[in-house]
Amino acid sequence: MPGSRIVVGTFLDEDALLRAARDARARGVPVHDAFTPYPIHGLDEAAGIPPTRLGIVCFVGAALGLAAAFAMQLYTSAVSWPTNVGGKSFTATPALVPVAFEVMVLFAALGTVGALLVRAKLWPGRKPFLPASGVTDDAFVLALEAETDASATVTPAELLREHAARHVQEVEVE
Amino acid sequence: MTATAAPHVSTAATGHHLLGAASFRVLAGLAALGTGALGLGLIVAPERAWPNLLLDNFYLLSVSLVGVFFIAIHRLAKAGWPTVLQRVPEAMTAYVPVGAVLMLVMLMGVPTLYHWSHPEAVAADALLQAKAGWLNVPAFAMRLVVVVALWWWLGRRIVRVSRRQDESGAIAETAAGMRASAVFTVVFALTFTIASIDWIMSLEPHWFSTLFPWYVFSSVACGGVALLTALLILLRRRGYLTATNEHHVHDLGKWVFAFSLFWGYLWFSQYMLIWYANIPEESVYYVARSEGGWWALFVANPIINVALPLLLLLPAAWKRNETLLFWVCVVIVAGHWLDLYIMVMPSATPAGPRIGPLEVAAVVGLGSLFLVLFDRAFRRAPMYPRGDPYFEESVHHHG
Repeated sequence: MPGSRIVVGTFLDEDALLRAARDARARGVPVHDAFTPYPIHGLDEAAGIPPTRLGIVCFVGAALGLAAAFAMQLYTSAVSWPTNVGGKSFTATPALVPVAFEVMVLFAALGTVGALLVRAKLWPGRKPFLPASGVTDDAFVLALEAETDASATVTPAELLREHAARHVQEVEVE
Repeated sequence: MTATAAPHVSTAATGHHLLGAASFRVLAGLAALGTGALGLGLIVAPERAWPNLLLDNFYLLSVSLVGVFFIAIHRLAKAGWPTVLQRVPEAMTAYVPVGAVLMLVMLMGVPTLYHWSHPEAVAADALLQAKAGWLNVPAFAMRLVVVVALWWWLGRRIVRVSRRQDESGAIAETAAGMRASAVFTVVFALTFTIASIDWIMSLEPHWFSTLFPWYVFSSVACGGVALLTALLILLRRRGYLTATNEHHVHDLGKWVFAFSLFWGYLWFSQYMLIWYANIPEESVYYVARSEGGWWALFVANPIINVALPLLLLLPAAWKRNETLLFWVCVVIVAGHWLDLYIMVMPSATPAGPRIGPLEVAAVVGLGSLFLVLFDRAFRRAPMYPRGDPYFEESVHHHG
């Protein structure tokens, strides 16, 4: 969401960040994102981040790769230039499987990585968005939406300070 | 790490069990009837009964060894997550002594089962003469005795470590468990190779395939992990092992999924190389299995054991669906029995599969025996290995 505003706070460890994220959601303050030095078990649940949909892209890529590889091999070895290999049928399927498998993996992997880069806006020349200092280093940063639910009982900044977050500040998402 | 407070894990005596009193008696009766009928069959119809004993006992023995294997590889990897459910694979190993004894019994069936055991057949066959250094009855019997004795002894050692730790909580037992697991894993790799070559591949003594032991292992590993998963889900439904959560089930689902693909990879590798080279001494195995009544089963095999788990267990949410996972596991347990059936039976009944009272008696009898022994072993041990230092981590397992 370009132009939306978030409130960020830095924590000393993952447990404090997890507690703050759970508390924020319980009190009507939506979590925008969390930035941590390493993957933290249970963070997606605590922050209410929905499961990734990259699996769908992966599956579609795999299906396309499989179809493309079978089509290419059948075309080259049975239609365009029928080749007799050891007296086997031109369309002998087992021989096509290894290449089809490899192309399936290739399409699935490239499709998934490509979709990730596009969705995460990680293209060359992009200026990185760093919501807090130390975010690429060892900081555990929790980003809350500045705009809270109507039922919220605290402001995002108050909540972060309650959980002893440091460097609490409001920033604009680029 | 989800819960800051530990989920309540009851310490009371639980009376945990898989089978109620009535179903235990029914299954014990079926086990007695089925094995009795199979024993009778060994006398009246030996050429039919011995392959059935080999097939079903080898499958159940291997599956129960997968219980040991499951514990061993997780111990070696210092994996914390499966500790809470460790009593399930431990109870699966209760069949190992019975399976070992039945393998010794099978030695009496060697002349019926194995063509190479007849001196007159060897005398008329240059290939069998060349292989006689390995494939002769005394060497076969000696290897069989050593193999099943090692399985029995090493499997027992691994389970004992965990029981001792229940009492003492000593950290030294974890180190002992790792040593026992390391020994078991190496010994199992070698002995299972020997077992699958001797007991299964030599049913067709002219044929050979270098990845056959791997292929057999992948099949029983998949069947074993699927059985473990199905048993855990049943126990959870009964209200036991409630300290396991959806992440344990999910991880077991990942094992089932991964072993299914591994099996598919090996099934195809063996098939395609032989199909492509088309050398008579290799393709004879597949010719026998793609003719007559065997064709349908041969085609069904990869559909049941790869296509089905691939499609039904691919999304994470579906692996966590216990009802779906349970039924997929049941189908896979049966599917890998079918895989072994296709390896064993065509040399006994080349014309096509024959399912009669004897086949049913063998499956029901030995299958019930397995479940009865599992249940007895599961009841007798405490439900959780509380003395294990990984127990707490395991209870908090998250994804």
